[in-house]
Amino acid sequence: MKSQQWLNERTFHHSNFWDIKWLVEEKQRQGLSISLCLPTLNEEKTIGQEIVILKAELADRYPLLDEIAVIDSGSSDQTCEIAARFGADVYIASEQLVEQGDHPGKGENLWKALYLLNGDIIVYVDTDIKNIHPRFVYGLVGPLIKDPEVHYVKAFYDRPLAFSGGLRPTGGGRVTEILVRPLFCLFYPELAAILQPLSGEYAGRRSILEQISYPVGYGVETAMLIDIYERLGLYAFAQTDLDRRIHRNQETIALGRMSFGVLRTFMSRLKREQLARFEQELPIIMRQYEVNDGNYRQLEYEIEEIERQPMIEVEAYRQKFYPEQQPV
Amino acid sequence: MRERLLANLVMIAQIPAPGGAEEQRVRFLLDRFVEAGISHAAADEVGNAVGRLQGKTGDRNILLVSHLDTIFPANLDHNVTVESDRVIGPGVGDNALGAAIVSMVPSVLEHLGIELDSNLILLGTTHSLGRGNHAGIRFFLDHIPEKVNCGICVEGMQLGRLNYFSIGTARGDITCDVRPEPSRSYGSESALVVINHIINRVLGISIPNRPYTVIRLGKMRAGVAYDVEPDHAELGVEIVSHDDEMIDQIHHQIEDIVSEMSARHAVEAHFYLFFKTQAGGIPFSHPLVKGVLDVMRSLQIEPDQGHSPSELSELIARGVPAVTLGISRGMRSRKQSPDFVLIDPILTGVAQLIGAILAIDEGACDEVEKPQPVDEGDLT
Repeated sequence: MKSQQWLNERTFHHSNFWDIKWLVEEKQRQGLSISLCLPTLNEEKTIGQEIVILKAELADRYPLLDEIAVIDSGSSDQTCEIAARFGADVYIASEQLVEQGDHPGKGENLWKALYLLNGDIIVYVDTDIKNIHPRFVYGLVGPLIKDPEVHYVKAFYDRPLAFSGGLRPTGGGRVTEILVRPLFCLFYPELAAILQPLSGEYAGRRSILEQISYPVGYGVETAMLIDIYERLGLYAFAQTDLDRRIHRNQETIALGRMSFGVLRTFMSRLKREQLARFEQELPIIMRQYEVNDGNYRQLEYEIEEIERQPMIEVEAYRQKFYPEQQPV
Repeated sequence: MRERLLANLVMIAQIPAPGGAEEQRVRFLLDRFVEAGISHAAADEVGNAVGRLQGKTGDRNILLVSHLDTIFPANLDHNVTVESDRVIGPGVGDNALGAAIVSMVPSVLEHLGIELDSNLILLGTTHSLGRGNHAGIRFFLDHIPEKVNCGICVEGMQLGRLNYFSIGTARGDITCDVRPEPSRSYGSESALVVINHIINRVLGISIPNRPYTVIRLGKMRAGVAYDVEPDHAELGVEIVSHDDEMIDQIHHQIEDIVSEMSARHAVEAHFYLFFKTQAGGIPFSHPLVKGVLDVMRSLQIEPDQGHSPSELSELIARGVPAVTLGISRGMRSRKQSPDFVLIDPILTGVAQLIGAILAIDEGACDEVEKPQPVDEGDLT
């Protein structure tokens, strides 16, 4: 019943936060700053409109965002040039916190954003969204501004997939429905009420994000949910309906590799919490198969979910954000 | 300001607005008007978005108009791509950019610290294209209780476009239906064949060199299968001329051809005219034209003077001096390359528009003769 109650109380629609002027006033009254992190890898087709719209509407027109930054994984296309041209701060992930090494992946970018960005609230928005709108940001920060007990807000959508000939009204979320939600139901039943746990748009308070570890690959969203849940419980979460999100569809074969990464992250949490025990280390090789003219071929993918330690444990981070707590 | 302009362009372009379904774009414009502090902002009876920025003296009313509808169906993917130098997507140049600029003019004026003496009426029209037949602006101009002293039609493309003459245009469909089998008489033929006969006769109409006149056979539709002779066929016809009488004359000739073919081939054939604008304009010597040319010259914009199929004709027909201006450079949709507008010229286009408004505010349209049909010789 608790999750049903949470669902009723902490599930919003972006239109609940349409009054951006009020959000700005309340943000200023609370003395909050908000940073937007856009993780990229070859997103030249969509990054321009995301920055143009979000900057114009939520930084220039209404100063809800104090900072907009692209954290890039080494794009070979025009992503970084376009982002810089339209006014975003652009960081190449591998060139930041170099003493911590480089483990390319979306989670790496999100983790390094904690160090690079200054906001009390960090908003993460994927950069493959074709129908970007300010609601993708104000819908996520709204619950955090409105309620100090909310620490992390997750987006959910009606997710049509673009395909030739128009738009399909529903689709997507296959990994969620086939893998993640059943796993939540088995091991973290309350988290099953999060409608789209793998959505790439979420916002959180720095105070909790700096406390959790970040897998650098596919498992980062799942890990965030589990780790925040274990620290703060279900009522630290809220979720917001952002209506429609139009994005590229992924082939099932690619979703298989994503599922492998999510599963590894999940298993590591089960092991850590002693909810499951494994006799040996789990493999890091994902095998898939293809048939070509009657020849069968095995493809091997190494998917190791490297985890970044909680940012609060990184010396450079503590020096930047908590200099007064440093030993003299 | 550039990012805000681009954001408006992207957000408007992403709202589908086929003719008759422009409500969301109207809502967007009205929201922008309200946010810019315009106290009078509302949709009128036919759904046009209307905003009124009160001037200091209010001695004149300047109308800024852009059409909101597009030729693209709602189920087309309307999402837009912003590249370093351009914005790409269906209808970005015709006319999402024009609408975006109209929505932004109050903010631009405020940004520049400009307070006009004249009232500025901002209009986003519905039912403009195709069979809409300019219904939105027609309604507005026929029902506005005050005099419109001067008008500027804002089109996304092309920068340098300066239209002050409206060519007369008539558009219609010739339809041909084969009679039901029991009532067919000897000589009844496939609708497609009859349309072909009509085409041959229309092509035989004598067209003068002057005044400039053209008959365009632009579209045709007939048939469903290779092995079935069509019972119905349609032919889209456009007549354009610098002379309204010539348009009427050709219109009647085509009607006669269609009637004759209908009888000769025992079919039901008709010519329905659904769109008509009058030829007319203001002369090159009009101070409005001179004033806009001065603005273009100062911004090093190469003027491209010609006629316009835009709302200009409705203003001219009602005696309102008006011009059509373009905001940026770009390209309309072709099968292999989608619409795009270039980003860099947009601010120049906006500067041109503001310059033209200021020229009018300083009297460029005052106390001159009403526009009337002009000779081709004036269109230098």
